[in-house]
Amino acid sequence: MKTTLATLALAVIPTFALAQTVEVETATGRMAVPAAPKIIVALDLAAIDDLSALGLKVAGVPDITPPAYLAEAFANTKIVGTLFEPDFEALAVMAPDLIVAGGRSQTQVAPLSQIAPTIDMTISGDEFFTQAEARVVAYGEIFGLEGKATTLLADLDAAVAKSKLAAEGKGDVLILLTNGGKVSAYGDDSRFGWLHTALGLPEAYPDLTAETHGEAVSFEFVADVNPDWIFVVDRGAAIGQDGEAAAVTLDNPLVAGTNAGKAGQIVYLDSARLYLSGGGIQSMMGTIAEVTSAFAPDAS
Amino acid sequence: MKLWIIAILTLALLVGASCLVGVVDLFAGNLDATMVLAVSRLPRTFAALLAGAGLALAGVVVQMSVQNRLVEPGLVGTPESAMLGLLAVTLLAPGATLMVKMSVAAMSALIGTLGFLWLARNVPRRDPVLLPLVGLIYGGIIGAAVLWLAWTTDLVQYIGIWQSGEFSGALRGRYELLWVVAGIAGLLWLSADRITILGLGEDTARSLGLDYRQTLLTGLVLVSVIVSVVVVSVGSIPFVGLVVPNVVSRWRGDNLRRNLPLVAWLGGCMVLACDIIGRLIRYPYEVPAGTIFAVLGAGIFLWLLYAAPRRAHG
Repeated sequence: MKTTLATLALAVIPTFALAQTVEVETATGRMAVPAAPKIIVALDLAAIDDLSALGLKVAGVPDITPPAYLAEAFANTKIVGTLFEPDFEALAVMAPDLIVAGGRSQTQVAPLSQIAPTIDMTISGDEFFTQAEARVVAYGEIFGLEGKATTLLADLDAAVAKSKLAAEGKGDVLILLTNGGKVSAYGDDSRFGWLHTALGLPEAYPDLTAETHGEAVSFEFVADVNPDWIFVVDRGAAIGQDGEAAAVTLDNPLVAGTNAGKAGQIVYLDSARLYLSGGGIQSMMGTIAEVTSAFAPDAS
Repeated sequence: MKLWIIAILTLALLVGASCLVGVVDLFAGNLDATMVLAVSRLPRTFAALLAGAGLALAGVVVQMSVQNRLVEPGLVGTPESAMLGLLAVTLLAPGATLMVKMSVAAMSALIGTLGFLWLARNVPRRDPVLLPLVGLIYGGIIGAAVLWLAWTTDLVQYIGIWQSGEFSGALRGRYELLWVVAGIAGLLWLSADRITILGLGEDTARSLGLDYRQTLLTGLVLVSVIVSVVVVSVGSIPFVGLVVPNVVSRWRGDNLRRNLPLVAWLGGCMVLACDIIGRLIRYPYEVPAGTIFAVLGAGIFLWLLYAAPRRAHG
């Protein structure tokens, strides 16, 4: 009898455990997560991006105007606070099976964990691209959509390869973020650095070791670095402001005199995609397509 | 007369240094030096001089208006109010012209400053430190409102450019609004005597035949315009209006007609010097002049309070 029970237990427990949780890679290391959760809340736009790419629908989202391509993912969802501050009461009422936090809501992971299983899926730093890929793998594992995840990542690899080919030998790149009338430069370990590292774009100013918010620079700096290409992220446009467009900010003799300015190689990237949902797979695919078509307008 | 020679020499020295210090090497020849000077260096130099002079003068007017030497626009909620106005315009009419934004900011700054004045009437005058404290709290509350509004609309980084004054964006065609300050400086100098009387308090001013309310209002309108222009063009620079007038009055006494040019000169020179330091400290990156001034200004102010020798002047 005893042995039968033990055998039964041995036979049952692993399957039981398998059905209940799955161990995946998060920003804070490997973590056991409930498998195939039904009600999902995502507080980070990159996460919403990844989940919708996998064909999943989130139930709760932060209060923000999403980049246009995420409008569908935001339709018929419940608002559960802001990007920075979750609405804990609304969340408690919803009783989600899984909360995906990260990025701007990273600091809220601990309190959120008291409401429902919460994973920190922040993507940051110089491992940005690898982390972004790891997140897709993790979501695939949580929802049993490994096949779909593999397909998405294969598409990403193909897009990266195509972009690398297009950019080869086209010169160096300086990434600038404009905010009002001022500019900051971003290096290869910044939040936009994956454009340099993953796409193999040479840095126009390799000493730039920018932190998340970039280094404040003058237009003289841009003139002196004299990049062949300038990639512009308009902080104003990212937050739905067209008053002081980046083009106006950069329309001055110092920028016009650079190689990029003279050759018309100043590329304005879709900043909502890059800034708000940066690291999401659809966001990256979109940005890579923009980069590729900038370098090889005919290829795409 | 010797003072004027020193003043002009210092100014010339700083302007020269400002024209020479920057990321582009003027003598390397890879960029047209004249273009760099005309587009970047000179506008930046003028912007720093004008902003510094304007804020220092605004400091004098505010100090005279409330008869307290320990306040300045940044301590009575003026820049915060200007930012609140700017933020409101940005949210309600993002495409508004610079003039519209400026006017709303100035109007909002004026309302905010008048609000402080109203508060100040009920603050006991016996302890001179009480009023700046009230102003600090008042400005803090308006600042918190600005931050809250920016936070909920994800504009925190955007208001950041108004909060930390720096001159990297001051190019030809982008800073000219600051010349308004030069005009206002002229107006203030012409009415220096009235401002002096303003500083004697309402009763004395009235008995000397001054239209107290009108003079006060005019002064505060000018302060609001100066602060708004500076906030819009380069961002707020705290302490200039506090430190500079106090240094000058310690040094030269309280004859405003004689001292206003000196206040403007010292304000301009100090802010320009801070900007030059800001360009060098993390070369080739920028450190806001406002940050440098806050550090140096705090030091100077403490020295003024505790260590500077007092000299009597008539």
